[in-house]
Amino acid sequence: MPERRLLFEHIDVPGIEGIDVYEREGGYRSLRKAVKEMSPDDVVKEVMTSNLRGRGGAGFPTGRKWSFLPKDGRTRYLVCNGDESEPGTCKDQEIIYRIPHLLLEGVLTSAYAIEAEHAFIYLRGEFKGGYLRLGRAIAEARAKGYLGDNVLGTGRRLEVTLYLGAGAYICGEETALLESLEGRRGMPRLKPPFPATSGLYDLPTVVNNVETLAAVVPIVAMGGAEYAKLGTKESAGTKLFSVSGNVRRPGNYEVELGKVTLGELLNDLAGGPPAGHTFKAAIPGGSSVPFLPPDKFDTPLDYESMRQAGTMLGSGGVIVLDDRASIVDTSLRLMEFYRHESCGKCTPCREGTMWLEQALRRMVTGDGRHGDLKTLEGLMAHIDGQTFCPLGDAAIAALGSALRLFRGEFVSCIAAQDHPLEEVAQ
Amino acid sequence: MNAEHLEEAKRLLTAFPGKSSALIPILHLVEDEFGYIPEQEVEVVADLMGVTTAYVEAVLSFYSLFHRQPTGKYLIQVCRGLSCHLCGADDLARFLHEELGVERGGTSDDGLFTVEEVECLALCKDAPVVQVNLEYRPRVSKDDLQRLIAECRQGVAQHA
Repeated sequence: MPERRLLFEHIDVPGIEGIDVYEREGGYRSLRKAVKEMSPDDVVKEVMTSNLRGRGGAGFPTGRKWSFLPKDGRTRYLVCNGDESEPGTCKDQEIIYRIPHLLLEGVLTSAYAIEAEHAFIYLRGEFKGGYLRLGRAIAEARAKGYLGDNVLGTGRRLEVTLYLGAGAYICGEETALLESLEGRRGMPRLKPPFPATSGLYDLPTVVNNVETLAAVVPIVAMGGAEYAKLGTKESAGTKLFSVSGNVRRPGNYEVELGKVTLGELLNDLAGGPPAGHTFKAAIPGGSSVPFLPPDKFDTPLDYESMRQAGTMLGSGGVIVLDDRASIVDTSLRLMEFYRHESCGKCTPCREGTMWLEQALRRMVTGDGRHGDLKTLEGLMAHIDGQTFCPLGDAAIAALGSALRLFRGEFVSCIAAQDHPLEEVAQ
Repeated sequence: MNAEHLEEAKRLLTAFPGKSSALIPILHLVEDEFGYIPEQEVEVVADLMGVTTAYVEAVLSFYSLFHRQPTGKYLIQVCRGLSCHLCGADDLARFLHEELGVERGGTSDDGLFTVEEVECLALCKDAPVVQVNLEYRPRVSKDDLQRLIAECRQGVAQHA
């Protein structure tokens, strides 16, 4: 099952992080084509036609997101979300660190399309190395006239500002990111108003993921119609999948959506489980989505098939567990993460994740109580749909599916701790 | 802040369409210079920004990369994201704690090392991962860490 590389087509070329090699491999042709031969609306139309969907996790159609900008003459901003922090996801990292000019070209081309003169690239604080690389890329591109006050002699202005976050998962949520970019605590804003009407500095703003903006480069190059032929009708194009955990060849793999199953990705591309072991379960879309058991590994990797299988494609961060992994311990590790990253705004999320973590820790440390499964389910019911932003729901997605798929493991974990089994099973 | 950082901080005040955006980059300057955000610098930053110290405290306390206590010359952050957890991150953290004689989040007596366990660093494909002064060390083993510690002690390790 082959990869289909559009974003990663040139990633292995030595020196691709520099502008000369990037240009030699065809880089900046899309930006040149856009600003020289196309109107901004033409570019938006190509992206609409391409059926590109947001690659950050939500899968919202990119062209439609752009179309929500009001045509009222106010200043507009494009913000690139480079806060990649979803456990299991490391695709944006590879774009930023290894082929920064692809991201920059995508940002510039998209800013042109939505008629924003100023774009921001927000990177998580731990991407300091990526910040330096992108800084060099911006300087190189400026020297060649790809950004600045007179882009490629067209008289157009395109400016890009880098911004380094300081460590907070929640800043990947777009309104929390805007709060952080404005120098405040990264706590989500009420929606509506959506960023398209009131975003950065209360001005119309589009926030797009790194991979999404990078995909605009091949879309402009090949045309939206050609791009839409890749993948499936509902899930067009290629997507990067980060494979990690208990697997022989972890890595980022770019494949056509819907043309490869989860099992083919894990076995054919990523080499299967470590010798002597079998897969136990996988989280296909970052840690905020439900587990899939191996009997569902024949599900194609696209948005609809994953939803039908009871999970989500999400960010494409595939974490795979083999038969050695304890599902209870895994659930605890994930809950520690969400408890740590809850911004504290909503009580169900702030307190609920803490109580869930305590109950799971009791089980892992040998002090499980017979009512703990009911406690977990009760707490999850109080978080589900009860929070301001999706972090609350994200915190319980994997745990909820773990309790359905591997209930026996939780039960025997508690039972082994000297509590009557019949009480546990209730 | 030293003169160079103060100059840079003043430039940052007008570098963004909104002045409020300068706060986090200025706090990064302080963290870079001192290895943490000292009390007296909170006042300096508040004065620069034209906000109260409480406002600055509220912002900086939200972010895990801003420290309120001095950190070692080398900040070693062990990723404990699920992928790294599955690939032995706990062992690495335990090794560092024992080797350097520090508690979680603690700093070694010689002031060289601070060891933190942190959430997913977004390099899951190269688990287990650590960052040293925000520079990645992919697929690290205990032997790698042992070497790293020796290099740091000899002062040859590169700063990020």
